[in-house]
Amino acid sequence: MTDVSTERESKRGFNEEALPHLDAVYRFALRLSESPDHAADLVQETFLRAYRSWEQYTRGTRVKSWLFTICRNVYLRGRERSQRHDELVEKHSERDDTLPDPVNPIWATVDTVDPEGAFFDSIVDGKILDAIDALPEEHREAVRLSDLEGLTYQEVADLLDVPVGTVKSRLFRGRRRLQAALYEYAIERGYVPAGSVSSEGG
Amino acid sequence: MACDDAISCREAVAMVQEFLDGELSEVPAEQVRAHFEACSRCYPHLRFERSFREALIRAGRGESAPAELKRRVEDLISGVAADGSSEGERS
Repeated sequence: MTDVSTERESKRGFNEEALPHLDAVYRFALRLSESPDHAADLVQETFLRAYRSWEQYTRGTRVKSWLFTICRNVYLRGRERSQRHDELVEKHSERDDTLPDPVNPIWATVDTVDPEGAFFDSIVDGKILDAIDALPEEHREAVRLSDLEGLTYQEVADLLDVPVGTVKSRLFRGRRRLQAALYEYAIERGYVPAGSVSSEGG
Repeated sequence: MACDDAISCREAVAMVQEFLDGELSEVPAEQVRAHFEACSRCYPHLRFERSFREALIRAGRGESAPAELKRRVEDLISGVAADGSSEGERS
């Protein structure tokens, strides 16, 4: 194959497999940078690097998590360059493998009024996203990557460079916090009768 | 109802997250599914967690990148691809 046709094949593969994840990479970048302009720069740089490394991408692994890894590296490198220090890396080196109590305290509260959590359906998307963004950073990342982006525990662990046990702990605790926040909102709005929720710490 | 004796209610509840995530490692998913389907006490817990997940997925779907950014990335890739082979020779 000539260089030109190889390039064409490569571009086609990239367009078909990587570009469809642009929305997901943008969401990911937005949460890293917290500024739409910076997120847009991160996305462009991510896709540029991804395209140039496309031959190194291992077929059969998930493109989305590969793109997230590149995006995160681009972001972290930018932070290092600007000498702002890396609370992110420090935070991610923490080890917390303990899981919350398996019995969800909200279940007991909603048991008689809305045991199947139909109230979640009444909450508008913007409120749910705000509640996710209000979570502590580690919980927010785990919930976003797992529940919104569909990454596996192992993919999240690789991306954040933490053990799978830590991912599960952050994810399960993050979900509890989020459920409690959404439940309180649902009570305020009258979507579900009030009860008392014992809050899930950590 | 009498719970399936293969898995207790406590075990099923403890595994609900991994079950919904498709990440069970110690017990076959079918065994956990069978418990939830048969146990009227545990089933609402599964439905509760499922409703929660569905709400998150629905909320996440609405977030997309600006059309302008998509265009810029596509142009960028096309530009690199267009002079890809000559760039390869230079490097």
